[in-house]
Amino acid sequence: METLRNKARELLASKTVQMVIGYGRGSGEAAPARAVFIRAAAEAESLIFDASCQQNLAVYLMKPEVRQLGKAALVATPSALRTILQLAAENQVKDHDLLALAVDAQGEVTPLATLQTIEAHVAALDCNLSAGEKTELQKYVALDPEQRRQFWQEEFARCLKCYACRGACPLCYCSRCTVECNQPQWIPVPAHDLGNLEWNVMRAMHLAGRCVNCGDCSRACPVGIPLYLLNQRLLSEVLANFNFRSGMAAKADNAMSTFKPDDPEDFIR
Amino acid sequence: MARIGVFICHCGENISATVDVAKVAAAAAKIPGVVHSVDYKYMCSDPGQQMVSSAIKEKNLTGVVVAACSPRMHEPTFRRACAEAGLNPFLCEMANIREHCSWVHEKGEATTNKAIDIVRTLVAKVKKNKALLPIKVPVTKTALVLGGGIAGIQASLDIANSGHKVILVEKEPSIGGHMSQLSETFPTLDCSQCILTPRMVEVAQNPNITLYSYAELESLEGFIGNFKARIRKKARSLDEKLCTGCGLCCQKCPTKKIASDFDAGLGMRPAIYVPFPQAVPNKPVIDREHCTYYLKGKCRLCEKVCPTQAIRFDQADEIVEVEVGAVVMATGFDIKHGDFFPEYGYGNYRDVIDGLQFERMASASGPTLGEMRRPSDGKVPEIVVFIACAGSRDPAKGIEYCSKICCMYTAKHAMLYRHKVHHGKPYVFYMDIRAGGKMYEEFVRRAIEEDGVQYIRGRVSRIYERGGKLIVKGADTLLGARPMEIEADMVVLATAGVANPGAEALAQKVHISYDSHHFYSEAHPKLRPVETNTAGIFLAGACQAPKDIPESVAQASGAAAKVAALFSQDELIREPLIAVVDRQAPPLYSTCVGCFLCQTSCPYQAIEKEEIRGRDGQLIKTVAKVNPGLCQGCGTCVALCRSKSIDIQGFSHEQVYAEVLALLNRGESDV
Repeated sequence: METLRNKARELLASKTVQMVIGYGRGSGEAAPARAVFIRAAAEAESLIFDASCQQNLAVYLMKPEVRQLGKAALVATPSALRTILQLAAENQVKDHDLLALAVDAQGEVTPLATLQTIEAHVAALDCNLSAGEKTELQKYVALDPEQRRQFWQEEFARCLKCYACRGACPLCYCSRCTVECNQPQWIPVPAHDLGNLEWNVMRAMHLAGRCVNCGDCSRACPVGIPLYLLNQRLLSEVLANFNFRSGMAAKADNAMSTFKPDDPEDFIR
Repeated sequence: MARIGVFICHCGENISATVDVAKVAAAAAKIPGVVHSVDYKYMCSDPGQQMVSSAIKEKNLTGVVVAACSPRMHEPTFRRACAEAGLNPFLCEMANIREHCSWVHEKGEATTNKAIDIVRTLVAKVKKNKALLPIKVPVTKTALVLGGGIAGIQASLDIANSGHKVILVEKEPSIGGHMSQLSETFPTLDCSQCILTPRMVEVAQNPNITLYSYAELESLEGFIGNFKARIRKKARSLDEKLCTGCGLCCQKCPTKKIASDFDAGLGMRPAIYVPFPQAVPNKPVIDREHCTYYLKGKCRLCEKVCPTQAIRFDQADEIVEVEVGAVVMATGFDIKHGDFFPEYGYGNYRDVIDGLQFERMASASGPTLGEMRRPSDGKVPEIVVFIACAGSRDPAKGIEYCSKICCMYTAKHAMLYRHKVHHGKPYVFYMDIRAGGKMYEEFVRRAIEEDGVQYIRGRVSRIYERGGKLIVKGADTLLGARPMEIEADMVVLATAGVANPGAEALAQKVHISYDSHHFYSEAHPKLRPVETNTAGIFLAGACQAPKDIPESVAQASGAAAKVAALFSQDELIREPLIAVVDRQAPPLYSTCVGCFLCQTSCPYQAIEKEEIRGRDGQLIKTVAKVNPGLCQGCGTCVALCRSKSIDIQGFSHEQVYAEVLALLNRGESDV
């Protein structure tokens, strides 16, 4: 933890970056870590890193009010690193726009200044679903379509359309979301069954081939809808059908928008 | 407030026989916003169009819905009528109550109700239509012709003679194609080369034609009127400007035993060669796969004997970039070779040959100088069996179509054989004789009646060798499927005509569609036979389907006429039904966030990056922009755009949504 704080102090003191986005202690008993924005070396004290630091801080890179503050160093979990690469592939982040401070479970800090170094770092990581995730996904996939429909109907019935999933997702960065289009209003505003289904299906589809499985949408959901199941299903489909994993390279074709004659599927021929 | 006019067409009885058109007109009149609703027998006729234009003027219409046939049929007609009456043509929509309704349903109330529904959707749409202005794009008046066979030659000459530049690309060292390999042509038996070579020379001499022989298309980008092509000129290994075509190099080349493609493998050629004496251009190429110098590093005999020092062993392929306005595909066909006919011993017995090999054998310039000598021992064959439909019309072999030319050339072959070997006996096994064409049937009758060719209706099951003879086992189905056995000296298979091996890859390169046999698809099988579905790319000859020479030439002239029509104007008018990216006032400028997923998805490379800069030159935002010349309005980008920042003019989100809603809210008041 001290290595991280020292690194932050050094970066801010040397004005290499204007801000360090990291984790700080949340308020209250047993509160999870929350994001802190350190803008002076003296504030580096409040930086922490432990098992509770799960949020994908790359989400702040896309917020205009954060961008205004200048170049940032970002305390980056593996998911956040992949997010940075995916954002670069989508022309949202350019090389040298930020400095990633890759952290691992042991608290080891690796500064990664370029997208190329991030790519190299990510290439060495295990990006497969964890054993637990796999088991849960298999259980879900084993349901027949009718059971699956029922499952989601029950889950989505709780959806409040608060859009916390959207706010937490670093890849939901549109300045105007489809749900805010009201000329015409394709997705209904009220949180009724149809509207909830349409919103959640659309959210998942917009992440197909892009989601890096950070899990923040599900963590942000106040009513505990397992949104990660939709995302994980889609990313395993994309991997199986197009041999494509998002967030691995700063320059990558998007699985949903490109056609390659040597794609494994052949229905289009 | 919208003032919509609805015009219901009877289409003679095409619509009115199953749809109660008066009821549709009455129902349409009640739709909010509709101020005029009539039905008429032929809306597309002059009086019908007059009804539309006078209603526009008298009732001050802001939109028109013509409920009639498919927009593919008459949308241009009615849009023109609207434009003449002073209404923007894009405020006119067609409600397709013929193909989508009257033709596909029985007479009845449900059919009429569906017609009303269709009209209601289009009324809802047209209320959201916006006046659009056509897009003008410049036209590069140069045509690219791919393939220098008879079709490509004809197309090139016709385009060049109408005053436009042509770039003709041929992959072989010489133009001429399959026609240059043929001996004589049906149904007149005039010598193929004698009628072809003057055309080839004409190509070489026409100042409007640039010929790239021994060259292939590398890539094609762009759109009608504005294509960019990259052509790979394969290294001939000599300086074409210095070479005089004297042929000394070919004579002296020590490697002479290479099977000649031109002679269909029956003759030999050296490693440095001109495919045939009348070649255009008459410049040799070095076959690097067989040349001793490229294989072993020494020889260079050709270099030593060349009187003009034209040989260039180190020559590399050259890429030429050209801008063209139209493309004619004239890449021709191939015939089935190889192990396709194990039961006939093709490729196994040397005296079982294909049609092209027979052509070379019968040709005065061929390896036998036109004498009938079978490949195995050079003897004159006394009995020759010709087998038509070898592969064609054979679903078991995967070729269900008729190759069309084989009936005629088989009759010709049998006849030519008889003319050269007077005592010889030709037999033809056939399934049906298809001799549709001017003087074709007469030609086949002549073979049978005057030249004594024996036609046997039946198929050959097997061919095998016995004592130097080829035993042909078949059946005569006109004599009660009597089994037959003929001891033949030579067998000629009229193998199926197929697409060139590279046809699929080339189609993908130029973005045109093709069928399951890799023949190129025309835009409409009857009414647009020389156009492809890609605007500005036309078809000529056997790359579309097997064809004989007159047909290929006719189609080539048709394609040339299309090109000439395209080049007759300086600017091309395109419909403005294209994608546009949202633009807004500052500080947003655009709802586009610049992820450029649309760019990777666009099949026409129509999406560009636009940098929005402040007055101080500072970059504010990079957003997508659609090039109106390139966009084809396919809508792929619209489907992919997450923030719905792209819309298609004429098929906008608002319009489509209004249509959907009109269908869902059937009978209720309109949105």
